[in-house]
Amino acid sequence: MSTPALTRRTLLAGGAVLATTTLLPRPARAAGRIIAPVYPGPWEEAYRAVVLPAVKKTQDVDTVLTPLLALDQVAKVKASRSTPPFDVFLLDPGPVVVAAEDGLIDKFDPSRCKNIGNLQKSFYDDSGVAVAAQIVGIAYNPKKVERPKGWKDLFDPKYYGKVGISGFGTTFGTSSLIEISKQYGGSMTNVDPAFEQLKKWLPHVGVIAQNPVAVNTLFQQGQMDVTYTNYQTVSTLKGRGVDIEFVKPDTGPIAFYTTLHVVKNAPNKDNAYKYIDTVLSTEVQAALQKPPYNLLSVNKNVPLQPDMPTDLVKSHAELASFIHHDWRIIAPLRAGWIERFNKEIRQ
Amino acid sequence: MDRALQQGDPAIATPRARAPREREGWLALPLALYFCLFFLAPLALLAGISLRTTPQLEGFGLVQYAKFAGDPFNWSVLWQTLLIGVKTVALTACIGIPLGLLFMDAPRRLQPILLFIIVLPLLTSVVVRTFAWMVILGRDGLVNNALTALGVITAPLRLLHTELGLVVSLSQIEMPLMLLPLISVMSRLDPHLKDASAALGAGRWRTLFRVTLPLSLPGLLAGCLLVFASSVTAFVSQTIIGGGRMILMPFYLWQQATTLFNWPFAATIGMVLLVAVLAVVTTLNALGRRSRALVHG
Repeated sequence: MSTPALTRRTLLAGGAVLATTTLLPRPARAAGRIIAPVYPGPWEEAYRAVVLPAVKKTQDVDTVLTPLLALDQVAKVKASRSTPPFDVFLLDPGPVVVAAEDGLIDKFDPSRCKNIGNLQKSFYDDSGVAVAAQIVGIAYNPKKVERPKGWKDLFDPKYYGKVGISGFGTTFGTSSLIEISKQYGGSMTNVDPAFEQLKKWLPHVGVIAQNPVAVNTLFQQGQMDVTYTNYQTVSTLKGRGVDIEFVKPDTGPIAFYTTLHVVKNAPNKDNAYKYIDTVLSTEVQAALQKPPYNLLSVNKNVPLQPDMPTDLVKSHAELASFIHHDWRIIAPLRAGWIERFNKEIRQ
Repeated sequence: MDRALQQGDPAIATPRARAPREREGWLALPLALYFCLFFLAPLALLAGISLRTTPQLEGFGLVQYAKFAGDPFNWSVLWQTLLIGVKTVALTACIGIPLGLLFMDAPRRLQPILLFIIVLPLLTSVVVRTFAWMVILGRDGLVNNALTALGVITAPLRLLHTELGLVVSLSQIEMPLMLLPLISVMSRLDPHLKDASAALGAGRWRTLFRVTLPLSLPGLLAGCLLVFASSVTAFVSQTIIGGGRMILMPFYLWQQATTLFNWPFAATIGMVLLVAVLAVVTTLNALGRRSRALVHG
């Protein structure tokens, strides 16, 4: 029996066939498609399970989800403004300012979304629309440490070596450091007191993490038992069996909104509005709010109860009373804070 | 002896071989085009952006380089990055040489299996390798738990987010890059040389230091070069295992590019790192050439 030898000719022929398959026309698509970025991890799971089928069913549009963090989305569009790689942005308040200043966001026309009436007026403007609320506070491991009460506790000797800190690179990190600063006499524009406090505390540092993904892993690995983060991250980790609880700081939790925007020069602008409209719909908002996704709804018809714990937030009115930071003021200061953080915490 | 003749004697390279080789040069054209398009052009673009004066990509000049040179913080970041590379190379070489010698002495049947084990770190994803090291070095990790169980320590040691932890994990990750060139050179050594050395009265250690190691030097240097270049730029391992308090050039570049959107300064950091690594690599290469002369001269 002879084995077929792999000659140069067969190899070339095979290669040529493989190469041509990529050139063949793709199977006809539905009414069209949209390319939408989504935060990796729990957000991606939620959008893949809830939003994707809903957009297909109600709008007959195929969604391609690309997992990307907010700043990475801005960087990608910035690198190819005229032919952006996706149609919408999913951003937190910090990156919104950056993207808007660079002129990467298309003017948002609320009248193109049927479901906009289900939202409070403050949830949208001519740049974009809120799709989920986020609450920032303190996370701790109930099996290992006492329940912390507020921001000042992070520096309490009883937590020495157990607190993890992250810098100004994320929205929750920046917001938390601003609130810490306020406890020691600072303000939204003055974080010097936070830096002074960090400097004094550094010899007792638990962990300093450089990115949000690392924060989650470090907590799971028992590398830190107290840190600041989003409620949604805590509930996701808890759902996976991690010993973690969320605390609303005694001086008040922080709330911010994650928003969707249409990208300037988006190739599928009409579908972008269809996508946004679907995300805002009562059914989708309700499904996204349920465990395991825990994305707080912005839709008036979807009350926060009973999905959210009563001691976290009872209603949209209570959510509105949480601390809100004005990112148009913070954004220009952040570069300086990041560089200072680099220098002060470096070993 | 005849082996040395084949490699070293210019008389062996006949003029007959030259003519076809010139024509064969054209075969490298697609590769050359590929490199120009996907390596040289982006590099030129990077250099171009580093010469812009503002994050909005306006102006033209050496402002970014002046900014880099003017702040001692930047120099210490560069220095620490290169130092991590040197330490990783040293540790990898210290472990790699005995491993290489062991490999050479292993039975021939075992060698392919050993080779597979050596290459294994290259076959696992960098993210998996790095997170595995987190589990090993962590407060509740393998090392700490083992030491506590043995009664060596009472409180967990701090291993993750330290330079030691980073260097140890990098040297495991980069080990194949050291071992592969080392083994390939060692396996070409004439086994009779060892016997000759013994016959002339040298002990095993003396043979090792006077014969085997000097002759393996080209492989060792090639390994050092690869390990250095790759550990200095190992972004994922550096940030995850090194932690937030260790700011090294790749993270610094990433932060400037994607968090602060200061592309010109990020490009400058990239160019500085490139030049620094090239300088080290060129020096090692020059040493390598001299060591080859030592072997074959």
